[in-house]
Formats: sequence, structure tokens, C-alpha cells
Amino acid sequence: MMLQIVLLTGLVLFSILAILSKDLIKSAISLALASLLLGIIFFRMGAHYAGVFEISVVAGLITVLFILTIALTKAEGEVRESKLPKLVFPLFFVVFILIDFFVMKGLLQKIPALPETAEQGTFGDVLWKQRTFDLIGQLAVILAGVFSVLALFRKRNKDE
Amino acid sequence: MSSTWFLYMAFSAGLLFVGVYCLLTMKNVIKLFIGIEVISKGVSLALLASGFVKKNTLLAQSLVVTFIVVEVSLVATALAIIINITKHTKSLDVRKLTKLKG
Repeated sequence: MMLQIVLLTGLVLFSILAILSKDLIKSAISLALASLLLGIIFFRMGAHYAGVFEISVVAGLITVLFILTIALTKAEGEVRESKLPKLVFPLFFVVFILIDFFVMKGLLQKIPALPETAEQGTFGDVLWKQRTFDLIGQLAVILAGVFSVLALFRKRNKDE
Repeated sequence: MSSTWFLYMAFSAGLLFVGVYCLLTMKNVIKLFIGIEVISKGVSLALLASGFVKKNTLLAQSLVVTFIVVEVSLVATALAIIINITKHTKSLDVRKLTKLKG
């Protein structure tokens, strides 16, 4: 459990680094490291498929897409962020964490526990038999993504 | 509910706070999108932690996998829109997007 808490703390710290870092490339890499830690947390929870997806897709593919976009938009110059949000962030964050743990501790015995039901079968059974409709949704979303990217990057005709 | 679940929920809420803070204070479009990504990490952690403490890891995993696929599609589309916006406004500043003039 101790290791899990260390990993979760690392996840939050890298996420903070990702939003506060001045350099966008550093931000993207911090985000990838946060994804990597989240993937390891998933592995330790016994969710191997989710861990593999998190590491390969989110830490790999999305980081590549981010770095590609940063490289393509680098010519437009940097946006000057005001320093105040970065300076005030630790204060807000500490206050939020205190409230967060206080509320969670207060809720600890108040929420009625739902019954635990042990699962049977494998991940494939659950994904293909119980969540079949989700797969249709995923296909629709992937196709929508592909068509929208194609529409956004289409070449203009000469008469336009 | 067990204390493990509340621990995960507390960290997940921390991630959500970090993401929302980024969305509220930053001006760079790519930075804002990184904030959305941080929020999505918090959501997937909450989903899987809920399944984990109720010993329903398989179902939670399948939901997380669905979520990740949707996330990738969203990222691809959003980054394409960001590139187009940058070409149009010649800047990554979100404040320059206030005009809706075609």
C-alpha cells in the first residue's frame, strides 16, 4: 500500500509539473511520465489490460501527438503566461488537499457500502459479452475522429 | 466503503483540481489541453479504483479501455483543431479566439 501511495503522489506531482512548466515539451514529457505512473498503478491493481492501454496509448501515442503539435505550432511564438497563478498555486493546492482529505475522512463511514459481487470469466468475456454496445460506440467514435481529422486537413480546391 | 477507496478518490480529486486550475488560469491553448488530459487521468483512476475495491476489476477495466479509446480520438481531433486555429490567428493565445467572425 505504501508503494501505491508513493506512485499516486508521483502521479499528482508530475501532473502539477505538466501544468506549471514553462516549456511545452517539458509539459508533454511530464504528462507522459504521469501516464506511465498511472499505468504502473493499474498494473498493481490487477488491471493489466488497462495498464497496457494506458502506457502504450496514452503515454506513447498521445505524447507523440502533443510533441508533433508543439513542433508544428512553434513558429507562432510563446504565449506569455502571468506569474500570479503559478505563485498562488501551492497555497490553493494545500488548502484543497486539506479540505479533500477532511471531507473524504468525514465520508468514510457515511456512504453505505454496495454489495461486493465476485466476477467470473476473463477480461475478453466481460468486454465482448457484457459491454458489446460499448464496442459499437468505440467504433463510432474512432470513425468520427478519423473523419474530423480528414475534414480539418483537407486540401483546398483551386476555385475556393 | 473501505478506506482504500477514499484514498484513491482523494488522489483522483487532487488530479481533477490540478486540471481545473490549469483550465481556469492558463492562456496557452496546448497547456489548456494538457489540463484536460490531467482531468481525464483523474477520471480513469476513479473508475478503476471503484472497480478494484468492489472486486469488479474486469468491468472497470473494460470501461477504462473504452474511455482511453475515446480520449485518443478526442486528442487527435482537438490537436488538429488547435493547429488550424494557430494557422488562422497566428498565435497560441486563447484570448485571441474571442472573435467568431468567419
